[in-house]
Amino acid sequence: MKNLWSNLYVWLDERVQLESLVAFMGKKYVPVHRHSVWYYFGGVTLFLFIVQVITGILLLLYYKSGEELAFESIQFIMSKVQFGWLIRSIHSWAANLFILAAVIHMFSVYFERAYRKPRELTWLTGMLMLFLGMGFGFSGYLLPWNELAFFATKVGTDIAGVVPFIGKPMLIFLRGGEEVSGATLSRFFGFHVAVMPGIFTVLLGIHLILVQRQGMSEPLHTDRSEAGVPRTTMPFFPNFLLRDLLLWLIVLNILAILAVFFPWELGTKADPFASAPAGIAPEWYFMFMFQTLKIIPAKVLFIDGEVLGVLLFGVAFLLWTIIPFWDRKSARGEHNRAITYIGLFVVGYVLLLTILGWVL
Amino acid sequence: MNDNTGAVHEGKRDLLKYILGAGLVAWLGSIVYPLAAYLKPPRQAEVEVSSVKVGKLAEIEKDSGAIVRFGNKPVILVRSAAGELRAFSATCTHLDCTVQYRKDLGVIWCACHNGKYDFNGKNIAGPPPRPLDEYRVVVQGEEVLISKQS
Amino acid sequence: MKRPMIVASIVAVLCFHVFAVAADKCFVCHEAMGDKASTLFKRDIHFAKGISCSGCHGGNSNTDDMQEAMDKANGFRGAPKGDDVSKACAACHSDGVKMKSFGSRLPTGQWEALQSGVHAKLSLSGKEHIAQCTTCHGAHGIVSVSNASSPVYPLNVVKTCARCHADAAYMQTYNPSLPIDQLEKYRTSVHGMRNAKGDSKTAECASCHGSHDIRSANDLKSAVYATNIPATCSKCHSDAEYMKSYNIPTDQFERYAKSVHGLALLQKHDLGAPACNNCHGNHGATPPGVESISKVCGTCHALNADLFSASPHKKGFDALKLPECETCHGNHEIVAATNELLGTAPEAVCSRCHSASERPKGYEAAGAMRQLTDSLEAAEQDARALLDEAEQKGMEVGEAKFTLRDARQARLESRTAVHSFNEKKFTETVAKGLSTASFVRQEATNAIDEYYFRRIGLGVASLIITILAVSLYLFIRRLERQQARTGTHNPQSNQ
Repeated sequence: MKNLWSNLYVWLDERVQLESLVAFMGKKYVPVHRHSVWYYFGGVTLFLFIVQVITGILLLLYYKSGEELAFESIQFIMSKVQFGWLIRSIHSWAANLFILAAVIHMFSVYFERAYRKPRELTWLTGMLMLFLGMGFGFSGYLLPWNELAFFATKVGTDIAGVVPFIGKPMLIFLRGGEEVSGATLSRFFGFHVAVMPGIFTVLLGIHLILVQRQGMSEPLHTDRSEAGVPRTTMPFFPNFLLRDLLLWLIVLNILAILAVFFPWELGTKADPFASAPAGIAPEWYFMFMFQTLKIIPAKVLFIDGEVLGVLLFGVAFLLWTIIPFWDRKSARGEHNRAITYIGLFVVGYVLLLTILGWVL
Repeated sequence: MNDNTGAVHEGKRDLLKYILGAGLVAWLGSIVYPLAAYLKPPRQAEVEVSSVKVGKLAEIEKDSGAIVRFGNKPVILVRSAAGELRAFSATCTHLDCTVQYRKDLGVIWCACHNGKYDFNGKNIAGPPPRPLDEYRVVVQGEEVLISKQS
Repeated sequence: MKRPMIVASIVAVLCFHVFAVAADKCFVCHEAMGDKASTLFKRDIHFAKGISCSGCHGGNSNTDDMQEAMDKANGFRGAPKGDDVSKACAACHSDGVKMKSFGSRLPTGQWEALQSGVHAKLSLSGKEHIAQCTTCHGAHGIVSVSNASSPVYPLNVVKTCARCHADAAYMQTYNPSLPIDQLEKYRTSVHGMRNAKGDSKTAECASCHGSHDIRSANDLKSAVYATNIPATCSKCHSDAEYMKSYNIPTDQFERYAKSVHGLALLQKHDLGAPACNNCHGNHGATPPGVESISKVCGTCHALNADLFSASPHKKGFDALKLPECETCHGNHEIVAATNELLGTAPEAVCSRCHSASERPKGYEAAGAMRQLTDSLEAAEQDARALLDEAEQKGMEVGEAKFTLRDARQARLESRTAVHSFNEKKFTETVAKGLSTASFVRQEATNAIDEYYFRRIGLGVASLIITILAVSLYLFIRRLERQQARTGTHNPQSNQ
């Protein structure tokens, strides 16, 4: 048995030089400090993405896009296909946990200033992936073609439509017409299973290669080398990787528990001619934006409130995404308090508005 | 814990490896089983809602009616003595009983309160307040299909 | 172009004559001639009010020169024709101010009302309406509606309407499908018989159909449109003061509105549901007799009527002169039948005639049938509750739900089958439902079991994952301790 494995290893090594890869991994260290725990969220996000890919491919075996069949095929998956309920529930739950893990990962990187030179590109690809993830969520939400998703998509694309100049063409592009219809469903399906996974995979590749090449960033304030305290580290392989796997196992179990105890509901089939039901809400990760738009008055100094809100969010997201390029202080290795305050404000704002959105 | 001796260590390690290996195998099993079950094509191979196959045209007698399941609703397929095919929702518009074809009367008939519908699904006698909803019958070669009126 | 000028000249002429009425030369001459019009006009209300012939016919009534009086230049137009007749009437009758000047308290706008009705449809010639004012009110001897000689007086109006409506040849030209026997039927009704005897309070044509804005019965706004009929009848029949002298109850509408029929018609607008006229008749309105009740109900509830007729009860009811359906179900306030009607309990209708000592065979059968129907209902409810539970647990039970329809159907059929009053027949129907219900129950139980199977599956998987996780954790610790001892790697780890 042991011989077989080592023979196989030798066979492969002769051809693709595994030795150097193992050597590289063996020399890779993960810094150990009191904020190390945040390092795991990147891995968890990756794991959830893998879960999404696998369950997504499985769902593709039975899912049928189209106004006539989308809802019915999900119903079919949930009732007729063995363990179909499990796969679909896991896909839905993992999607939400994915966004959650990604957001936590993003904020931890933010507060640790891990985006600072030389990791600007890692941050940038990460942010793009987060946006893509939200796009996955938004497009995937419509695919069961149920009432709630139908109207949430209507509202969501409406908001995209208020962007000055490019809004209207964008809305038409997203919906595949003037209204949310079967054409929208086909489009979203295409985005969800072909366009976005392709782009995401490229970004993820770059992101992971950068992480491997540059190693983990150490936060400024635990940089004890200045104080003469020796740096503590842990080998990436096998120590950190095994821990990662341990955590992934736990996440998988959580997913299974959620899927069994809180199966994702299907609701009723969308009827484009029905009036909107009460309680139309976007997915929770869009809630703070949705709620903000509701709070902004209809007119603010000759500007349409909604337009203003959309523009403000656009600017805010842009600034957030390019933070490594304007936070010069952190790049120089100095402590930038303003960044912490901005971050705390953003976290507080998002939390508050999300809670308000659910309560109101 | 740090004062564990090497011997204990070795014994424990073997056991641990066993558990780890067995756990891994069992875990793989618990993943592979649902996946394999999921991949196995279910009894009803396809989603069938927008249209339902009823059967061969030759097998449907003239001057007869049959109840066909359409999603969660029953549909009655009637064939006139002249051979014309019609399909209607088989749910009586009075109190939701399932209607049937009465050869002796030549009408679609509800057993609950003697409601009667003609060959066009129109309520002609008894308590039904409105006609039966019509479905579309499509004959493709020999196959007879029922689909929703669009 | 022409019409406004004519109207304007009529108005001008009219105004003129109102003040010059003292010397109505038209009437003087025509009376001397002894023609029919002027003879009739003497008793006309318009004559009494001092309105001259020229009020309608135009011309100059102040001159005895025939040439001048009937000169077209003076607005003379002879006998108005077609719609001009009604327009001439409307010139005053649709003008509140003018009517007041004659001291009239009549309502105005009859012409407008007439126009919204069926009689304002084009006549055959295509140029005028079917009926003009004079068609019903007459031309020269017009008197108040309260005057017994008026053709629209309650006792006379039926004949006035029948002049056209009973004329087959005439009606044929307008609406061939409309019956022409309304008056004939009316005379057989309680209303018609009283009317013939001179009771002007009972309903005549206009009481239900309206007087001027008479609409087709298919017109949603018609007082005799199916959903409006109960309210139309109740205008009189629910008025206790009005009905006092007739000594009949006045709560029919109130009770009808609470009945299955009333709810279906008035709330759900189900036009298949009977209104007053479906049981009592419309023109021949009369309470159905004991003999005919089951036939009246049987026009819709045919199966029940058939079963009843073949049942042992038929003979018994006939012997006792009991009205068939009404005995158990009541008349106006027929509520949805419940299981409580059946059985041996005091509130069950069976117990009115059957008891352990009196007619005990029926008593036993009633008890047994009640038990059966109760058990079917319970079985159906039980199966439904289990299905709901399974569904709430997220299980898909669409197929079983579909099957459960059959149990419900059997229950509904059994309720019809009751009317055979044949225990065996009833048991058969119920048994069908019971077996379906038990099948559905089994399906639902299976689905619920599957739900728990999922939890057990999850438990097993969780156990496996936990064991794996714990052993992995221990493995990592071991590994790191080994590394610490051998110093392979950076010794310190975050424990």
